Formats: sequence, C-alpha cells, structure tokens
Amino acid sequence: MPKPSSRPIAWRLLDGAEAVARRLWPRPLRGQTGYLLLTPAVLLVGLLVIGLGYMADYSLRELDLSTYRLVDEYSLTNYQILWDRPVFTRVFLRTLLAAVLVTVFSLLLAFPYAYVMVRTGSSRLRKLLLIALFLPFFIGQVVRAYGWLIILGSEGLLNSALGAIGLGPFDLLYNYPSVIFGLIQYMLPFAVLMLVPAVAAIGQDVELASEGLGANWMQTLWFVVLPMAKPGFIGAGLVVFTLTLTDFAMPEILGGGTSDFIASSIYDAFFQLSNFGLGAAIALVLVVIGSVLAVGILALVGTGTLGMTNPSSRAQARRRGRS
Amino acid sequence: MTGARAKAWVLWSIVVLCVVTLSLPTLIIIGASFTSGDIIRFPPDGFSLRWYEELASERAFWDALWRSFYVSVICTVLSIPVGTLAAIATVRYRLRLRRTLQIYLLLPFTIPLVVSGIGMMIFFGEIRILGQLWPVGIGLCVINLPFMIWAVSASVNSLDPELENAAANCGAAPVHVFFTVTLPAVTPGVITGGLLMFVLAFNEFLVSLFLVDSRTVTLPVQIYNNIRSVITPDLAAVSVVYILFAVVAVWLLDRIVGLEIFLRSK
Repeated sequence: MPKPSSRPIAWRLLDGAEAVARRLWPRPLRGQTGYLLLTPAVLLVGLLVIGLGYMADYSLRELDLSTYRLVDEYSLTNYQILWDRPVFTRVFLRTLLAAVLVTVFSLLLAFPYAYVMVRTGSSRLRKLLLIALFLPFFIGQVVRAYGWLIILGSEGLLNSALGAIGLGPFDLLYNYPSVIFGLIQYMLPFAVLMLVPAVAAIGQDVELASEGLGANWMQTLWFVVLPMAKPGFIGAGLVVFTLTLTDFAMPEILGGGTSDFIASSIYDAFFQLSNFGLGAAIALVLVVIGSVLAVGILALVGTGTLGMTNPSSRAQARRRGRS
Repeated sequence: MTGARAKAWVLWSIVVLCVVTLSLPTLIIIGASFTSGDIIRFPPDGFSLRWYEELASERAFWDALWRSFYVSVICTVLSIPVGTLAAIATVRYRLRLRRTLQIYLLLPFTIPLVVSGIGMMIFFGEIRILGQLWPVGIGLCVINLPFMIWAVSASVNSLDPELENAAANCGAAPVHVFFTVTLPAVTPGVITGGLLMFVLAFNEFLVSLFLVDSRTVTLPVQIYNNIRSVITPDLAAVSVVYILFAVVAVWLLDRIVGLEIFLRSK
C-alpha cells in the first residue's frame, strides 16, 4: 500500500469528497440518494408552480377600476368576462384552428423529410438534411419571422418576383394564412426530430416484405409504415399542437395584430389593459385547454415517443423495483 | 418500376419544398444585410458593408449582445449540474412516484411559455429581483431544463449499470464511482445538453420579454422591439450574428456528438 502522499492528487481529492459526502449524507440516508439528486431540478421547476399559483390567485380577483388594483375578495368575475365577450371566444377558436392546421400540415411535410433522412443511402445527403433542420432550429423564432417579413413584405422578394412577370403586388403579410405558414415552417424541425426515432425503428425489411407480397408503395406506406410510425406521429403532433396553441411571436410579427392568438390576448390584458386578473384568467384557461387536450390524446393513444426513458430501462427499473 | 419512381418523385418534391422553406429566410437575411440602400427591397440597391459598420458602432447592440451572452452562460452553468443529477436520478435510482416526478419535470414544456414567463415575472417581482439580469438566466434555465435532462438521460440509458457495479465491487466508494465511471460515460450527453441550453437561451424571446426591462434588454427582445417599429437593414445585420452563431453551434454539435445521434431509433 503506497503512502497516502504518493497517491495521485485526483484520488486524494475524491477521498476528501467521499469523506465530506459521508459526513453530510450518512449511510442510513443512502436509499434516498435519488431524491437528493432530484431536489435542485424539482426546486427550479417549482418556480413555475409558484408562478402558476400567483396566476390562479390573480385570476380569481376582479380589477377595481377606481384604484387599478385587484380586489381581495375571490370571485369568478374574470372567467365570466371571458365567457361573455365574443372577442375571447373568437381568439380561442382562431388559435385552436391554427393549432389543428399547423399540426396536420407540419406532420404531412415532416414525415417524408424524416423518412428520406432515415432511408437515404448517402451520408452526405443525410448530413445536409440534418443541417437544414438544425440551423433554423438554432437561429430562433424572431430572426426567422424577420426573414419572412423580408420575403413576404410589399417590397419583398416574392412581390418583386411576381411584379416582374406583371402580377401583384399582393398583401401577403399581416393575415391569418401568413401566420399559419410561418408557424408550419417554424414547427417543421420539431416535427421531424420527434418523428425520426419512430421511422428509424421500422426495419427496411418490413417494407421489402410488404412489397414482396405484392403491395405497391402507397399500400405499403398506408398499411405498414404509417401504422408503425404512429408513436412518432403522436409525439410530434402533440408537441407541434401545444407549441402552436401557445405561440406568441409568429402571430404578433407575421399577423401584425390581425390574427391575435391566445398568448397575445394574455399579453394585452397584462400590459395594455393592466388587468392582471383578466390576463391570469385567460392564461389559466389556456393551461387547462392545453393540458386537457394533451392528457386526453395521451390517454387515448398512448405516450408515443414522448416517454422519457426507453423501454429497456423502464423494464430494468421495474425489475429492480420488484426485487 | 414506375411505382418506385412515383414514390421517389413524391417524397423528393416534398423534401425539396421543406428544405427551401427552412433555408430561404436565412439566405434572404444574409443577402439583405449587404444592401447599400436604406430599405430592403428586391433587386437590392447594391453591395456594401455599411450596415455592419453601423452595427459595430452601435452601443445598444453590443450591450444587448453581452447581456444575452451573460444570461446564456448563467442558464448553461446552472443547468449542467441540475439536469445531470436529475437525469441520473430518474434513470438509475429507485424512486417512488417515478412517473409523477417525470411528469413534474416536464412541466416547463407543458406550461405555455407565456404563462411561465408572466408567472416568473410576478414571483421575481414579489421577491424584488425583477429588473436584474441574473434571474433572466435562471428563468431560461427552468423553461429549457427538460432538454438537458433528456440529453443526459439518453447517455445514462446507454451506460450499462454493471460498469458502475463493477467499480463498486472493486472497492470504489459512491462518489468515486460517480466521478470516475458515471460522469465520464455521460459526458457526451452533458455536452449536447449544455450546448442546446446555451443556444436556446441565447435566442429565447418570449420569457425574456417578460423578465427584462429597458435597462436589461437582451438581443432577441431588442430585435423584436425594432421589428415592430420599422424594417431597416441593420436588423438583417444583427440577424446575421444569430445565423453565424447557429452555424457554429451546429458545427460544434456535429463535431462533438455527431448530428446523426438524433436519427437513432428508441
């Protein structure tokens, strides 16, 4: 056994750490180590729970117009206002419709993308498709929306091109379709990345078998590939749907006030009307709608690719839990 | 063989459409930033670097860039230990209520960003830290934390627990095992997650919008504020900073873990 001083410095540091750990976290607590490791994350996420608590509190308190403060008594007045004013119903329906449209179109576009990326034999093409996917993902929503402003604006690329052949100019911006379009291209990377694991899990031999048995490619796609990729569609669809439902920047920048989403209403209630109670009420309704839809879909069709652990580790955990 | 050709044709036309839609804004912004005119129009007025020169001398831009960098560093430095420990705990340790805890840790994704942002704004206001810069970094860490946990979880999942058991069997104490076996094995996940956290914090807009004020405005919020008034080419030059940044991030991600890691089936 070498003298302690001749051992590497890293070992001595680790031994020190070990001693400290033993002092701070004695053996009887060892079974609880998992909870200890989780504590910082649980506390951080707790910030959101606290925030939600404040929102719930505010949403039940009416704005006193003489002092511009929220009254102390609880009531459902803010929710009543939401229910009574058709403008809010319109905003909610507009946002829900957008979420449905964007989800459908993103999945339609994302599936071929994911499929080609997984199936292609060329590694350079695969890399190119990956880069085309990640670059916009990393550039951020505001900058991308700005790019579309340049393209779709009245003196933008598209109108200039159309003008050159004697068409237009068209008002391509500040309307509902431009918001939907901007959202679809914004959601595309999310959708593809969520679909890819499911597509990659489908063996090419299964497709070959299907075709060998006489199915044409559309039948193979419809009866074999798409059903097998279902978990990916659920995961991707859910992510795109909830992200669209709660989006703020695209409707603001590309909609220019013509196609406000729920998030815009929340923002306006807080910062234009200074009615924190009303804003919090809209926010809570949004949370409830989003959660109910998400939980409903998950309960109906399973967790898809959203499960955080893979099946083997889940099985391991179950085994360990039992022993 | 016409079937195969039809299939290739359909798939490829959609893929090309996607690639064009994904890349067009980026390319247009780069092009627009080099115009010599006062407004952006097509065909461009001519080539110049004047908007970059103006940008370089604009104090507000450098301040906002620095603030964005600062909050991104706080976000990343905080998320690395927190996310790594949480990932190890959820995958490796026997936990009661594992499912509930996992759903709880996904709250940052399920609570709409606008709600998270305003909620934290109210809470930070109550405890009198709103208006400072560091809470913005914490806020950005919270809303993106699941990315970090997810990235590390993937690494922990692929680490055979028998390796840790073997180390323990050879006499290594728990802290030793953690630093010499577990941590090196999950490092690729930690790096991927850290990179994601940094990039996402650097271009996060909505939550920042609620947590900053005019003295602590970060770059994405500044771009947004300027978009709302008037579209000038200096914004294109700022945006190019983001594009360059994204290129570096993608390159780093590819070098460190390989982009193909995202193509693996579960």
